[in-house]
Amino acid sequence: MHMADALLSPAVGGAMCAVSAAANAYAVKKIKKDDLCEKKIPVMGVMGAFVFAAQMINFTIPATGSSGHIGGGILLAAMIGGFPALLSISAVLIIQCLFFADGGLLALGCNIFNMGVIPCLIVCPLVFKPLLKNGRQWGRIAAASILAVVVSLQLGAFGVVLETRLSGITALPFGTFLFLMQPIHLAIGVAEGIITAAVLCFVYKIRPEIMESTFDGAAIQNGVPMRNVLIVLAVVTLLVGGALSLFASSYPDGLEWAVGKTAGVEELEADGAVFKGAASLQEATALMPDYDFKDAGEDGSGIGTTVAGMVGGVLTFVLAGAAAFGISTFKKKRKGASPA
Amino acid sequence: MLTLQNVTVIYPDKTKAIDNLSFTLGGHENIALIGENGAGKTSLLLAIVGILAPAGGTVEVNGIRLCKKTVNEIRKQIGLVFQNPDDQLFMPLIYDDIAFGCRNYGLPEEDIEARVDETLDLLNISHLRGRSSLKLSGGEKRLAAIATVLAMNPSVLLFDEPTAYLDPKAKRALTEVLKKLRHPKIIATHDMVFAAGVCDRTVILKDGRIMADGAVSLLSDNELMRRCGL
Amino acid sequence: MKDKIRQLYALEQLSGGHSFVHKLHPAVKLLTAAVFIITVVSFDRYAFGRLIPYVFYPALLMALSETPYSMLLKRFLFTLPFCLFAGISNIFFDRASAFAIGGVTVSYGVVSFFVIVFRVYLCVMAVLLLVSVTPFAEITASMRRLGIPAVFVVLFEMTYRYIGVLFEEAYSMVTAYSLRSGGASGIGMKDMGSFVGQLLLRSFDRADRVYSAMKCRGYALRVFPRGRGKLERRDWIFGSVTCLLCIAFRIIDANALFAGIFRGIA
Repeated sequence: MHMADALLSPAVGGAMCAVSAAANAYAVKKIKKDDLCEKKIPVMGVMGAFVFAAQMINFTIPATGSSGHIGGGILLAAMIGGFPALLSISAVLIIQCLFFADGGLLALGCNIFNMGVIPCLIVCPLVFKPLLKNGRQWGRIAAASILAVVVSLQLGAFGVVLETRLSGITALPFGTFLFLMQPIHLAIGVAEGIITAAVLCFVYKIRPEIMESTFDGAAIQNGVPMRNVLIVLAVVTLLVGGALSLFASSYPDGLEWAVGKTAGVEELEADGAVFKGAASLQEATALMPDYDFKDAGEDGSGIGTTVAGMVGGVLTFVLAGAAAFGISTFKKKRKGASPA
Repeated sequence: MLTLQNVTVIYPDKTKAIDNLSFTLGGHENIALIGENGAGKTSLLLAIVGILAPAGGTVEVNGIRLCKKTVNEIRKQIGLVFQNPDDQLFMPLIYDDIAFGCRNYGLPEEDIEARVDETLDLLNISHLRGRSSLKLSGGEKRLAAIATVLAMNPSVLLFDEPTAYLDPKAKRALTEVLKKLRHPKIIATHDMVFAAGVCDRTVILKDGRIMADGAVSLLSDNELMRRCGL
Repeated sequence: MKDKIRQLYALEQLSGGHSFVHKLHPAVKLLTAAVFIITVVSFDRYAFGRLIPYVFYPALLMALSETPYSMLLKRFLFTLPFCLFAGISNIFFDRASAFAIGGVTVSYGVVSFFVIVFRVYLCVMAVLLLVSVTPFAEITASMRRLGIPAVFVVLFEMTYRYIGVLFEEAYSMVTAYSLRSGGASGIGMKDMGSFVGQLLLRSFDRADRVYSAMKCRGYALRVFPRGRGKLERRDWIFGSVTCLLCIAFRIIDANALFAGIFRGIA
């Protein structure tokens, strides 16, 4: 579910960065208050690395031939508590952003919110924990895990739709986009939920004390008012960000699979109503600079501008390439010349 | 000088890891701590530095008795090298790993730098200074882990399976290093040849109790070894 | 699977270089990358021409820092599919014609498709270049200086450190599994619980041992001042020139100017 910089507007990206930073700062504050703070840091660090490693393990989804991997938010929150889990997930997302270009710098806020804040601070305390309040038998753990993961992924996918749409970089209509994202993530969520359930049941069977201790440490979790504040904050920033930026949009992502679904998009496009809706939406939102292409209408002068613009662009590319090439050749020569 | 008296360690599941154990390590003695898997070697080492709280008995280092108040002082005096260097090298750079302990004890940064360089030099691993532990070989990691402990200037050294994961060449290098270090040492190991090469005394454990304590020549007593499950 | 972890180290290796760019202050590099990305993404979805001048940033930085182009390009291609989806859907949904060249009508959708791909290119390059010229220790040092709490920075460092270790562990588990699974490519879903559970418990135990190792060396959560503090002249020059150019290209339509000059000459 990683979102990329390229599909975000600065307003939405910035707003989400602010929200996620606030959530992380709050989590740090909460953890610092905990007596076990010192001990929690290596645990959080190693568990973050665990999520990373576990995500590399592909499992085969029966009867489909496709494969998936775990997400980790709920799993981690169940093991070490919501706030520490949020910090771990954030660290993992930052590393993925920096070293693997999964997501981007500006998109970090969105990604931390969709994959960290939602499962760890919203779903875990509001869905997962209440279900396990009265006993932790095998069946209950399984049901709670599956439900929590599914809810997290649905909310996360919804977040992706909302954030990209508010950014206005793509033209996919809101409804279509939502219609694509939610079912895909329902399927992913069920598979991931089953695995999370299996892992947690396994852990509970072998080392019950680990999970017990997170539940006993529930005192840290009683940040309900703050949680509400966070939710309100998130909604408000989204609205403000949306007002600031254009609207129109899309970009999904569990989406290697969904790319295959573009065929489905093709059919939709044949549907006149959808297309018209999209076109009028586009008209309403096309806040483009006068120069770029709009003046390239039917009259000849526009074409002249366009061609000139294109040639200019190509020349710029060539210039940049030549400069880069020149510098590297120069550097190589100098290296060759110096008796290193 | 390290003295253990009637030390007992009990795990949460009630098994006795160490059972009423006493011995003294003094001068420049090097003790080989030998025993089958699960005999209590690691537990003993962890109890000495206060990671596992003894259920009974006393641990004393240079006249300081291990208790809650003195635990930091004790840990400064005793350097424990873990079995897996990856557990001990947790910072991005080897330099930071070695400086970690000194920083925690509040040394000024210039002194720390001098100490790190001195330690690296002593172990002949100055080239690892700016490297990341992600890319070191097993032997390099082992020496780096030892450096992290040495930089704190301990008076006693404890080693848990120092030859684990090492090839013969790295093992020889390690033997040289250990001979060079004048600290009294306890070395828990399964490697009898290595033990005989480095140590002058051996303590054999079974089920948390001392089965034998004497010269390293005990290690060639096959009958004794069999009785100790080795 | 192994590939991914090699990627992690490859960038780390590059960051040890000694070029002009490597020597810049990490905070300056971070700031310019951020300004670059923000100005790039602030253009609307049809502004292809406006984005073109920005190509100088990755091109020059890559040349100056001697970063191998092929490696970064590979990663760019790896991130592309997700954004391609968005771009392709634009082609279908955004059919109003933008302009025509020689009788071929180009729709706004096609324009925005190229804009998206180009944006991805610019943003991904900016981030990858930032990391490939900045050692990890300097990244965390500037995080500290930016006022990010020590709790988080230490956690971040440890996560980075243990990815390699746990990865090796996971990798050998997967290998052991596949050797006995009769050629299946992944882990069967029924085994996933105990498989991941094992890895999880091992990680948990490892965290325990790491914590012990830290305690043995007197660990208590203390803040260590570290890293380079002062900005040098080259930092000021590089930072201000790059940022100003980014902003200037945001305000002035350099491509149109260029095109105008070109037309004037013609």
